[in-house]
Amino acid sequence: MSVVDSPATRRPNDPDRPPQNRIPGHVAPRRRKRNSSVVPWLLAVPALLFIAGLLGYPLFRMIILSFQNMRLRELISGRTPPWVGFDQYTRVLSDGVFWAVVGRTVAFTVVSVLLSVILGLGIALLMRRVARGVRMFMVVAMMFVWALPQLVAAQIFRWMTDSDFGVVNYLIDKLPGVDYQNHSWFVNPWQGWSVITTLVVWAGIPFLAITLNAGLTQVPKELLEAATVDGATPWQALRNIILPILKPLLTIVTTLSVIWNFGLFTQAWVLRDGHPEPQFQTLATYSYTQAFGQARYSLGSAIAVITVLLMLGVMIFYIRQMFRIGEVD
Amino acid sequence: MVAPAVTPTAPLKRRRKAKADEGVITVGRSRSGTILANTAGVVFSVLMLFPVYWVLNTAFKPADEVLALEPGFWPSNPTFDNFISAFNAPLFLKDMRNGVIITLIAVAGALVVGFLGALAIARFSFYGRKAIILVVLVVQLVPFLALLIPLFLMLQNVDLGFKKFDLTDSLPGVSITYLVLILPYTIWTLRGFISGIPRELDEAAMIDGCTRAQVFWRIILPLTGPGLVATSVYGFIQAWNEFIIINTLNSPENQNLMAWLLQNQTTRGTAWGPLMAGAIITSIPVVVFFLIIQRNIATGLTAGAVKG
Repeated sequence: MSVVDSPATRRPNDPDRPPQNRIPGHVAPRRRKRNSSVVPWLLAVPALLFIAGLLGYPLFRMIILSFQNMRLRELISGRTPPWVGFDQYTRVLSDGVFWAVVGRTVAFTVVSVLLSVILGLGIALLMRRVARGVRMFMVVAMMFVWALPQLVAAQIFRWMTDSDFGVVNYLIDKLPGVDYQNHSWFVNPWQGWSVITTLVVWAGIPFLAITLNAGLTQVPKELLEAATVDGATPWQALRNIILPILKPLLTIVTTLSVIWNFGLFTQAWVLRDGHPEPQFQTLATYSYTQAFGQARYSLGSAIAVITVLLMLGVMIFYIRQMFRIGEVD
Repeated sequence: MVAPAVTPTAPLKRRRKAKADEGVITVGRSRSGTILANTAGVVFSVLMLFPVYWVLNTAFKPADEVLALEPGFWPSNPTFDNFISAFNAPLFLKDMRNGVIITLIAVAGALVVGFLGALAIARFSFYGRKAIILVVLVVQLVPFLALLIPLFLMLQNVDLGFKKFDLTDSLPGVSITYLVLILPYTIWTLRGFISGIPRELDEAAMIDGCTRAQVFWRIILPLTGPGLVATSVYGFIQAWNEFIIINTLNSPENQNLMAWLLQNQTTRGTAWGPLMAGAIITSIPVVVFFLIIQRNIATGLTAGAVKG
């Protein structure tokens, strides 16, 4: 199976497409229709039950919880928490801290996605230009980075930026006229966030570059050669030929990156030792610390609901793209 | 990005040479540009690999060299001490065992349940098919982190009618949670593999007298084999790497290795050597599996984006 399915590999067995070369009055298709309403549902029921029980029901409970006020007392006693209507939401939405967290999360998402997509595309283009051996080296290097568990990657970065024994301080300190001994990267939020962003972009490049590189193999070579003959600069070839062909793929990977980076948790959590300071809170860590750190379960739920609502636009866009594929296949 | 310093029209001779080099886009190739590109490629790869090299370098150093003010760039006195102290650390082996059990239950369960579900949406056209596809796609995007609070409350009080259970701080609770965590992806990927099998094969077998069950056992199941392997390996990676849920639901005795790596940092003055050794041990199965099936992962995430 190739990394990217080309239109040429479109399979001939779409269930929604009328079967061709079928003798009129042939019984097979009609019989299939008749059986098929019970059997497929029987097959799907276990999966649907699991999803309903452990995803659907908690989702429902989360929404209910956000209209209640559940604290530690209710958690221990098991009593139904008091209903408070929209109180949790008014409390969250009128809190300046919350809006600072939203702004920070959005800003981080925009910067990190732009950086990773642009760098990923650049690396993908570079992979087309280099010798075969170098390309192999690039793929192997990226595969190792891609394979590393998020938590492990974050721990490595925490070690490299350690203020006393971190290699990053050591290397920067070597530069003439710079004193970075015992420098702490997380005192200044800008520096701290650049460490987090570097980690996220570094970890995100392999997926983007390798996927986009596969997409680039779909660009017909003849088209590029013709453009060159007609006097197109490399920049024009990129803008007018490569990017339009790559657009559907680029849209999907960008959407995925937005969804992933908006939910940033692990990296900020690990780099800040499990206790992110206010300036390093994202929506995910904020909701988590409110719920489990402060035992404000309802407030945490309200923040989680708002987070999902904020992402709804991007998610619907992604689902529509994928749905079209699932329907046809 | 490296801008190729070139004349727009590549000389004919060079172009012929480029043709032999398969799959290389030939816009603006020149010798200096190629050297520049190759250098950039090597520099990029080295930069990407630096953190990986650094964790290996640290893990094989003796304790005093790890905390040296002048970090050595090569473990000159390589030792396995860090690995030994990781293995001897409290709960390391227990958490490793837990991780294996939880992951195996989750993957096996998701595979069976997911395969049946995938079969339904890939092989049948029926009323409600689109709704199921939609559900599978939507739940993939639900941030699991957001569901932790109700999930915790729910598992704390599982009422099966005859008896009540508290599934928090237990392996079964996390196992079914992980099962559901990887289920949507499993269904979605297997759907792709099953619909890759030509329907004509089913029909031919049925004309020859096979029942539906026989078609499943003799045709669909064997032909989906590679897909089942790839999907289960990806499920394994996801379940093995998870730590937030297990860290919230379970106490350290019932956690996995990832959560162990997280716990390790709260004790003041991190023991970096053993931590990095533990990180390597924890990553090995994932990295090995990942390298085997990486092609299929990319397919699952973006399949059909080009057709779209």
